[in-house]
Amino acid sequence: MQQLSAENIKQRIFQTVAGLVEDETVVVTERTPLIGDGRALDSMKLVELCLALEDLAGELGSAFDWTSETAMSRSRSMFRSAGSLATEFLAQRDGRE
Amino acid sequence: MIVVTGASKGLGKAICERLLARGDEVFGVARDVSALGFPAMACDVSRADEVKAVAQRLKEERKGVAGLVNAAGVASMNLALTTPPEATQRLIATNLLGTIYCCQSIAPLIIRNKGGAIVNFSTIAVALGLKGESVYAASKAGVEGFSRAFAREMADFDITVNCVAPGPIDTDLLKGVGAEQIERIVARQIVPRRFTPDAVCDVIELLLDRRSKSLSGHVLHVGGA
Repeated sequence: MQQLSAENIKQRIFQTVAGLVEDETVVVTERTPLIGDGRALDSMKLVELCLALEDLAGELGSAFDWTSETAMSRSRSMFRSAGSLATEFLAQRDGRE
Repeated sequence: MIVVTGASKGLGKAICERLLARGDEVFGVARDVSALGFPAMACDVSRADEVKAVAQRLKEERKGVAGLVNAAGVASMNLALTTPPEATQRLIATNLLGTIYCCQSIAPLIIRNKGGAIVNFSTIAVALGLKGESVYAASKAGVEGFSRAFAREMADFDITVNCVAPGPIDTDLLKGVGAEQIERIVARQIVPRRFTPDAVCDVIELLLDRRSKSLSGHVLHVGGA
């Protein structure tokens, strides 16, 4: 099981997003939108991202539930930006409600 | 591996037997799996948490899932005016929500498998608008609508989504339906014959076959409608 700091995990998530973005000029930051106007990923890539984050959570010995009611109601949509997705991922890892 | 819900009886059981006989690896899902002689897990498909637990187990076992057959279902042959709220909720929960929950939880495993097929169950009662089956037909009409839209969502992942809509087939679901009523329904089919579970299994095999990957978003009526 890997031990990574929160910042390292966040960077891994951003790297994962970047790997899925087809436009190579896009730089993934906290504010990079994942859904809605100017989104960096199409719906297919978004699903691929979720599967990749499931795998990352497994490596870290935790779980990532991208369909959880609490996740959706807490953030309204965790997918609104790369930063909000990373925040939600870390919250689930830490078991926070 | 093919995941089959409703695996302990009726069409689900017949489908499992057919797939096992041809050498497929099958994982059964049913409320009671004690009598199943192959890998299975107890689950009430109308409960999202239980369905998620099935998906989690399959993921942990690292089984490649190539197909899902959502055969779990309940029926209640009643006029809408005499169908109690509890029966209405049970029909919608098991037939419609159960199908949606299973698709939501198992489809990601099929995506990881790089493609496959999902087969959901409707009924000929939707196309024929059968008297005395309004609530049951409503639950299955929902399955058809969901499946058609879900087929589009899954197309990019090389996953087909189709519905099988049988006419009257000899299973527990037909208990309580009179012989004359069954004959009236059969007479309205395009092929006015009563079909066996084998005929349904033939269609399921067709839809699970990767040579059928151009077929998606369809409702196949066993008997024709």
